[in-house]
Amino acid sequence: MKQYINLYLLEFAINSILRKKSKNFFIVTIFTILTFLLTSVFFITNSIKYELNSTVESLPQIIVQKLKAGRHYDIEVDRLDSILGITGVTDGVARVWGYYYFKNLGVNFSVIGIDEYEEQYKDTLSKIVEKFDSSKYSEDSMVVGQGVKDVMERSYYNDYFNFIKPDGSLKKVKLGGVFDAQTSLESNDVIVLSKDMAREIFEIDENKATDLVIKVANPKEIPTVASKIRLMFPDTRVITKDDLKISYQNIFDYKSGIFLALFVVSLFTFFIVVYDKASGLSSEEKKEIGILKAVGWTIDDVLKEKFYEAFIISFIAYILGVGISLVYVYFFQAPLLQDIFVGYSQLKTTFELPFILDIQTLFLVFFLSVPIYIFATIIPAWRVATLEADEVMR
Amino acid sequence: MILSPEVLTIFILNLIFALFGTIAFYLSVKIYFGWDLESSSKKQYKLEKQSFLTATIIKYIFAIKVPLFLFFVFTIDKISNVLTGAMCGAGVIDATSYGIYLLILKIINLYLFAYWLVLHSQDMKDEKQRFTKVKFGFFSIIFLLFISELIIESLMFGAIDVDKMVSCCGTIYSATSSSYISTIFQVKSYILLASFYGVFLLMILSYIFKNKYLYAFLNMLFIFSSLVSLIVFFGTYIYELPTHHCPFCLLQKDYYYIGYLLYTTLFLGTFYGLITGFLPSSKTIVKNNFNKSLFFNIVYVVIISLYPIVYFLKNGVWL
Amino acid sequence: MIELKNINKIYEVNEQHRVEALKNIDLTVKQGEVVVLKGASGSGKSTILSLIAGLSKPTSGEVVVDSKKISKLPDNFATIYRRENIGFIFQKYNLIPTLSVSDNILLPLVPLNLDTKELDTKLNSVLEMFNIAHKKDSIVKNLSGGEQQRVAIARANINEPKIIIADEPTANLDKELSLDFIEQVNGLKKSGKTIVIATHDPLFFNLDFVDREIGVDNGEINL
Repeated sequence: MKQYINLYLLEFAINSILRKKSKNFFIVTIFTILTFLLTSVFFITNSIKYELNSTVESLPQIIVQKLKAGRHYDIEVDRLDSILGITGVTDGVARVWGYYYFKNLGVNFSVIGIDEYEEQYKDTLSKIVEKFDSSKYSEDSMVVGQGVKDVMERSYYNDYFNFIKPDGSLKKVKLGGVFDAQTSLESNDVIVLSKDMAREIFEIDENKATDLVIKVANPKEIPTVASKIRLMFPDTRVITKDDLKISYQNIFDYKSGIFLALFVVSLFTFFIVVYDKASGLSSEEKKEIGILKAVGWTIDDVLKEKFYEAFIISFIAYILGVGISLVYVYFFQAPLLQDIFVGYSQLKTTFELPFILDIQTLFLVFFLSVPIYIFATIIPAWRVATLEADEVMR
Repeated sequence: MILSPEVLTIFILNLIFALFGTIAFYLSVKIYFGWDLESSSKKQYKLEKQSFLTATIIKYIFAIKVPLFLFFVFTIDKISNVLTGAMCGAGVIDATSYGIYLLILKIINLYLFAYWLVLHSQDMKDEKQRFTKVKFGFFSIIFLLFISELIIESLMFGAIDVDKMVSCCGTIYSATSSSYISTIFQVKSYILLASFYGVFLLMILSYIFKNKYLYAFLNMLFIFSSLVSLIVFFGTYIYELPTHHCPFCLLQKDYYYIGYLLYTTLFLGTFYGLITGFLPSSKTIVKNNFNKSLFFNIVYVVIISLYPIVYFLKNGVWL
Repeated sequence: MIELKNINKIYEVNEQHRVEALKNIDLTVKQGEVVVLKGASGSGKSTILSLIAGLSKPTSGEVVVDSKKISKLPDNFATIYRRENIGFIFQKYNLIPTLSVSDNILLPLVPLNLDTKELDTKLNSVLEMFNIAHKKDSIVKNLSGGEQQRVAIARANINEPKIIIADEPTANLDKELSLDFIEQVNGLKKSGKTIVIATHDPLFFNLDFVDREIGVDNGEINL
């Protein structure tokens, strides 16, 4: 190993860096900031992905939606009977839910209809059924998430709320209670009430539902059951849990991909600028190289030293960038940046980013920073190393 | 089209490689045609200086290429999670018609670049610099392969369609597969084993007799016989499943990432072995290469042989 | 030992402007000789030194040192030759002011990646020889002119060279320090080194330990 790393050369390189403090400090700072931004984006998306994946676990295995003219449409509830006949299907629920747009504050509520006596397709809903007396979410009463309550209070709705029905009339619904749920990300904007009330608010027919949710005994059979349902009802879209996982991953990759592309453009521009400036060598620097070559440093030695310098600077900036990012994202919960990724909803979710340290991310950021910097230094370093020593020393 | 951050990173680095590689190519051609060490013309001095730039660029490209190749393997593995049907890298490679050619090309390029580096270090130690023209001419050829690799890589990643189903390695690497791979399964295992160990023994013999050309040739054979025997025979003992032949699944966590160790030792062993035949150099250097090669090859053979042996000892039967 | 045969050196400053630094020079220096090159600035004596040191190559002609044609060596080899055989003392010392004395002296040996013990031995012997051991960890810029001069000479000797080359070594020194320097050159001669000094300082003329004085004028030699 000793033959590959020359410690004395390394020491000289460190010293050389320290001798041009202000210039190098400037470079390290900017580079650290860029790395920090990039790493933060990755950390945030990783954490959100993880969080979302845990959420996806709790999502239904199969969702059946009716499509009409390519758009989502209400589905007939009696189709459920045929589906329950498929081997492997253990249970099915007809869901009634939707988004209610509250114009005053420009926010969307998720409205979910439940039936007390049905087996709930989601744990959180079962908990609500347990916790709250059925009177709270039926007969003109509802149970809401904290975020909803806060929004309603801002519009001075304290004990009740007026839904505006599609035909323009009002439906007054009392506030029966407030719940907290497992993952804050999804429950903050939720309103739970009876299916009949939901149908009334959204004007959905009695024998129709928003979609059907199917449970399958053996998860490995999901794709088979899904294709059977598609054959049975050609006008439906059948979404499996795996489909959702994949699409989440793709969304996040897409988002971080765009950011990445922008980032790298700025990175490379930065380097070109810096090196354009720095490559006009001071006479002092030229003289130093002349001395080195005169006392016996070969061009390869000078190049090696320049490489050490570049590597040290970029690596330090990389470590700093990653370190600061760790603190920023996981300790301070990434103020500002988090909002870009967490969502469009105006209902701010207070949700904690779980700590996920992925080796692949570290490598990813490394590849995007250190090699690019080192490549940017090749030509300037070479120009320096091949200066004619005697011309320099006159 | 797959647009994950990993793929983008590879694209970006490929762009940088292409940019600097082209500079190196242009200079290499210039040097190849204009180099004359005896001349003291201004042109020659310029060329001498430029040879340093070219060499540095090539060194840097190779230095980044190696970890990037590992990263490529990681990425392929990761993509297999989003491609329906793919359980490991094999599915991703098989997803497009470019995949397998890309992989083979990448590996060949690793050998070629490494060989260039060895040529270069020899050249720099030579007062007459006899290898300068050769090495830069050689690079001009490697460059074409290198650019092809970059282009095919972009095409491959661009062509991967998330919605298309791909085959799992179980179907690709089996006797029933419709591809050329099925032919290797037609050969009986003991023949493959015999050729594998046979080539290895012949290598040891040629090592003892220090016949470098034979040794290099045998190393080339060794690459093929080890890969084939790995897929058909040894792989099954690593997976402890007689039908699991995939060479990519070895790289996954479930098998302690043993694939990386195996492929690295195989590469190093055969690389050093090949260059003994192709490098005009001094006796000590040849001896060094012989030793390094034999060492890595032995390590590979030992590790790979341990799997079936341990299995037999544990279970009392062969698969 | 050192032979310059038929040397021409032309610098092309730009397309139109060519400087003929040396015209058809022949020069020989025997082993152990002390040679002084006299001439005004720009006469070409610095060019002769850099040719001997392998720092530059002649436009035509040969430079042979110890039977080795160094003018034909590729750059890396020329540098290695220089590292092993030449000790260069510059005008203005050309030390790195922010480094310590020891670091400056060891500079030529840094790329060799030697054992620490070996480096220490060489360092100490040279520190003793030139009487700056007591300042070995001081930062160079804090030293006096005379001390810096000794550091420069020490550096030129760390690699135990056969040939010492000095380019206007006393140009920035007062008379006392100049005489000091001359003393040290004498000492070096006694230890068997071949020494070539380029200077227009009259203190160097007519010294008894100097074997030859060669006049350089406008790229040509007049003995």
